[in-house]
Amino acid sequence: MSDFPDKLLLPDIPNLHRIDVYEQHGGYAAIRKALAMTTDAVIDEVKKSNLKGRGGAGFPTGLKWTFMPKQTSKPKYLCANGDEGEPGTFKDRQIFELNPHQFIEGCLIASYAMGVRATYVYIRGEYVKWINILQHAIDEAYAKNYIGNKICGTNFSTDVYIVRGAGAYICGEESSLMNSIEGDRGYPRVKPPFPAQVGLWGCPTTINNIETLTNIPVIMNRGGDWYSKIGSSKHPGTLLYGISGHVNKPGVYELPTGVLLTDLIHKHAGGIHGGKKIKAVIPGGSSTMWLRGDELEGVRMDADSLKAAGTSIGTAGVIVMDEDTDVLKVLARITHFYHHESCGQCTPCREGCGWMEKILKRFMSVDGNIEDIDLLLNVANNIEGNTVCALGDAAAWPVQSVIKKFREEFEKRIGKIPAENKYIPPPHLVAKSG
Amino acid sequence: MVKITIDGKQYEVENNLTIIQAAKQNGIHIPHFCWHPHLSVSGNCRVCLVEVEKMPKLVIACSTQVAEGMVVNTNSERVVQARNAVLEFILINHPLDCPICDEAGECKLQDYAYKYSVGQSRFDFEKVRKPKRVELGPNVMLDTERCIMCSRCIRFCDEVAKKPQLTFTQRGDHVELTTFPGEQLDNPYSMNVIELCPVGALTSRDFRFKARVWDMSSTDTVCVGCARGCNMKMWVRNNEVLRLTPRNNPAVNDYWMCDYGRLNTFKHVNAANRIKAPMVRKDGRLVEVGWDEAIAKVGFELKNFKKNEIAALGSAYSTNEDNYLLTKLMNHLGVKRIDFVPHIRKGEQDDLLIREDKTPNSVGAREVGVRPESAEFGFASILNEIKAGNIKALYVIDDDIAADPVIADALLKLDFLVVHASNENETIKFADVVLASSTYAEKYGTFTNFQGRVQRNKPAISTLEHDRILDGMALSRLDKFGAPNDRWTTGLKRDTRASWRILNSIAAVMGAKWKYNSCEDVFNEIASTISSFKGLSFLKIGTGGAMLNKNKETVTVKS
Ligand SMILES: Cc1cc2nc3c(=O)[nH]c(=O)nc-3n(C[C@H](O)[C@H](O)[C@H](O)COP(=O)(O)O)c2cc1C
Ligand code: SF4
Ligand code: SF4
Repeated sequence: MSDFPDKLLLPDIPNLHRIDVYEQHGGYAAIRKALAMTTDAVIDEVKKSNLKGRGGAGFPTGLKWTFMPKQTSKPKYLCANGDEGEPGTFKDRQIFELNPHQFIEGCLIASYAMGVRATYVYIRGEYVKWINILQHAIDEAYAKNYIGNKICGTNFSTDVYIVRGAGAYICGEESSLMNSIEGDRGYPRVKPPFPAQVGLWGCPTTINNIETLTNIPVIMNRGGDWYSKIGSSKHPGTLLYGISGHVNKPGVYELPTGVLLTDLIHKHAGGIHGGKKIKAVIPGGSSTMWLRGDELEGVRMDADSLKAAGTSIGTAGVIVMDEDTDVLKVLARITHFYHHESCGQCTPCREGCGWMEKILKRFMSVDGNIEDIDLLLNVANNIEGNTVCALGDAAAWPVQSVIKKFREEFEKRIGKIPAENKYIPPPHLVAKSG
Repeated sequence: MVKITIDGKQYEVENNLTIIQAAKQNGIHIPHFCWHPHLSVSGNCRVCLVEVEKMPKLVIACSTQVAEGMVVNTNSERVVQARNAVLEFILINHPLDCPICDEAGECKLQDYAYKYSVGQSRFDFEKVRKPKRVELGPNVMLDTERCIMCSRCIRFCDEVAKKPQLTFTQRGDHVELTTFPGEQLDNPYSMNVIELCPVGALTSRDFRFKARVWDMSSTDTVCVGCARGCNMKMWVRNNEVLRLTPRNNPAVNDYWMCDYGRLNTFKHVNAANRIKAPMVRKDGRLVEVGWDEAIAKVGFELKNFKKNEIAALGSAYSTNEDNYLLTKLMNHLGVKRIDFVPHIRKGEQDDLLIREDKTPNSVGAREVGVRPESAEFGFASILNEIKAGNIKALYVIDDDIAADPVIADALLKLDFLVVHASNENETIKFADVVLASSTYAEKYGTFTNFQGRVQRNKPAISTLEHDRILDGMALSRLDKFGAPNDRWTTGLKRDTRASWRILNSIAAVMGAKWKYNSCEDVFNEIASTISSFKGLSFLKIGTGGAMLNKNKETVTVKS
């Protein structure tokens, strides 16, 4: 790893959150550079970089920006998604804390490129401290006319506002986020129409993750070509890997895409507590499919490699479980999360998440019923793909993958629970399964 | 236009349609709960999932636009499986209390569960509990456990009534429908959410627990609450009107009607103060008599007055036929003073349905001749002439004109007052003869609404005049089954008659030679003599109504 690039998002520079320090290190040069270019040229640069969204779905950022209409009588908006609700994910917080100006600068370049009138930065409500830091940084940037009227002496005006979330995971889903900003209930919208046509207050809108936007000034400064060569070619750049679970050094690590998952765990995160073996890894936040400990060899942390391994990069929030982990307990907890966070709008997710949790809880508290395993899998299958938003899939995938990969963990519980706790299924169910 | 294939058959459809619309236009039913043709698409119930070739996932038919060459399958194995799954999901936390639910029999969930679900649930846990019997507003009750979160009711308030009063709170399977803090569901159209609700979550506080739907008959008719004439169904059990529900007519009321019309236009039909037979005043008191006696009495008395001593008041509550025959009778007698009392409540009107004219037939009454030739024969002058003692006899149909104390005062001056009335009211207190007329719920006829649309009204309640079975009226299960000697319908049949028929009898004793066997005969004569009605027939009016001809009638009716 000799060609290891500098850290692009969280460089080791003290007090970088201050605007003077940020400027001393070349901050706000990228927006000036962009302002001197045509908007098409800016978008082309982002396209060339091959940057993929860091919010979970991995959509090409440059392409997304081109969906915004050029001719429109309506104002256009950018939503910066800092809801960061995905369990196992805590990277955007680091940006707010350590490098807020680079994120702001990213918003400004994006705004210029798409002709955006205002950026709404949606941040989860619990992040009070980070909201304050970011607000301070925004105030500093306003004072220096990086944001506001006719920025940097040009004719381009744009604003940046923070919107504080109120504690729902679903408000991180982009269309739900827009409803939340509008003051409505956090219900995902049915797509189409897509946000670039009908977004915030019915106006053309683009939604990007905080980390995605923080990459933009780097791309402006060093060029899309340069950026596209970092890490994996089809999924370039650095990622803020959030590692949690049974590792010795949990935390956020900025590394290129495509690092070996095993390196991430053992080299960077200091290996497993007490040198134990790994039972399971969730590679990209709780919504991604699980990997068994014996499936990790050779898996790289980029979209393609993880896809080949049957899972996805998600938010690059890696959750590591050692050999003593009760995977059912973890799955029950994750399922509880999705049950609790389902917005309740569409039938399969609203009803199915609660049902899955009930089956899992029963499996854990009284003696398991072998049919319940298939029932649970079937309920997950009936949710997957049939819902308004991806939360339904996110709830189904962990269940599907755990049953697929750890079926024996279910089976071995059966018969281990005292007889008085034994679950007796009602006769019609027994008859049916027999 | 695009060509699409649905379930193996090709169709050509407009290209701005969604799959569900295209299917509907071609008679293919795609099940749906949350979709409604007059509300925005919410896409949340997921029961309309269909398979479209080349699309990896199933898609919802309610929000997916058709495209050239699209191949849709509404019954593939995947679709059947997904639909069954959705129904299973909907039912897991549903109380399954059909036996005590008002919606049973007209419940989409019940119907779809029979049609599209395997019918057995694999859910054997305690259900989520939610509030029961929530009074959302003065007219609507909510059972939160029955709610399937389709959001139709919310969208109706937001988009149609334009009064955002409902919302969901909580998340996941704890979602609850409720009113906004400090709000009630009390907009003038609130009860439309009852039919919109595909299940029994929203019920009518007026109708709750009164009848099972299959025990009622329903008759297509029109509301008489104002000049809009909303198309509606009248629901009857045991010869008693129990509820009114709107009936879709895009030209008049879409799928809606107002709460006022729904609640205040039928109670008088069932009321205890109904006039059950004709009455004649004897020794100062109204005494029930037979029809022949009452009619003879009217004929006998009217002959005592000169034609300029008589005046008549038609009624905007009465049908075109009633008013037409009143006009014709007065022409026969040579009486020129004829008008009706308007019931306008200034300002009580909105942009959706409600009209400030609180009668259903002002336009019609005028069109068929209940209008003075000039102001000197109009209502104001009639009133003055009565006060002056110049008009001595008055013929009033179907309007409680004495509810206005000024008019009541004048009536004291009359020598002879004939009144057609269905219920005891102020006016009969002054009457010498009261002719027991049928309400709009008991007769055939047409009304002409403020737009000039002629609409039909049909009897839903049988009287001695209209036999439910012989006259082909709508039947309920109660009416249909059982041997003739033990039909379960035992409801009261009153000896009332439609005003046109009463007028027909009066005319006969006054020497006119009319030949009407049915209301339709009267209408056909209207259509052949009054130019604005030219070309119309009961058949043409059908269930949706038909417009008057543009140039309105100015010809006087011949006797
Ligand atoms: C249930 C759910 C929760 C989500 N939460 C977040 C979130 O907290 N932050 C985020 O950036 N994206 C989240 N997303 C993804 C967004 O919908 C969207 O894809 C993303 O913000 C786009 O940004 P990107 O293109 O820069 O990745 C969530 C998606 C779903 C379905
Ligand atoms: S999938 Fe779940 S979270 Fe998404 S819209 Fe449906 S109910 Fe809401
Ligand atoms: S109350 Fe009825 S109409 Fe309203 S959301 Fe529930 S099921 Fe739908």
